[in-house]
Amino acid sequence: MGTRPPDPGRSPDGGPSDGEPPDRGPSATGRVAFTAVTDEPLDVARHEAAVGGPASGAVVTFAGVVRDHDGGRAVRSIEYVGHPSASLVLAEVAAETAAGMTGAAGGPGTGADAVAVSHRLGELAIGDAALVVSVAAAHRQAAFAVASALVDEVKRRLPVWKRQVFADGDEEWVACP
Amino acid sequence: MSVRYFAGAAAEAGTDEEQITLMVPPPLTLATLLDEVTARHGAGLARILAACSFIVNEVTATGERTLDDGARVDVLPPFAGG
Repeated sequence: MGTRPPDPGRSPDGGPSDGEPPDRGPSATGRVAFTAVTDEPLDVARHEAAVGGPASGAVVTFAGVVRDHDGGRAVRSIEYVGHPSASLVLAEVAAETAAGMTGAAGGPGTGADAVAVSHRLGELAIGDAALVVSVAAAHRQAAFAVASALVDEVKRRLPVWKRQVFADGDEEWVACP
Repeated sequence: MSVRYFAGAAAEAGTDEEQITLMVPPPLTLATLLDEVTARHGAGLARILAACSFIVNEVTATGERTLDDGARVDVLPPFAGG
């Protein structure tokens, strides 16, 4: 992670090419800037800075934030716990997303440049970010689409659970029958 | 073998991990182990197990998976990240 593959949109000296910015699409680089499953507070700006670059005309960031209500009940806090494999799974999901950008996974590629994604574990308060996804692309459509798909995939595959504590002291494990 | 429970499954089982030894004719399957787990912890856990996925020795597994004495089984309720 962290090394950029050769970029056909740049001049041979590695600097930005003259004139029109390169239009990505089939040549999009598909970089995973970083992934993290962490007990530390998530830094949204760090995600945006890590994905952005001179060819990125659009940076879309999603933050999943702890809210103070669920199903009509007042929520006090949420605890997230993860399986030991969660870091590995998140890295896998991000790598597959990056491969999908270039078309390496088959198809024409989604045309985005880079992704960063983190999930926080532990006790979170109202307003704390639990999940942050940033996607950079030449154009906004690709950035929106990849960010949305990546959030869906993380929620589907990441082995993380949340215990919701209500204002009245009641609690539940979300999605657990 | 060892069974690790996560999140709501751990809350219902009342433990994060337990050792289980079963004296049954081989092959011992994950389904048989889950029957024993249900017998120990009751219908509440059975309801959760019906929605769980399972990992045996770090690989996703279903009920027909055979287990040896040293197997490590993880019980994963439906994910709820984000």
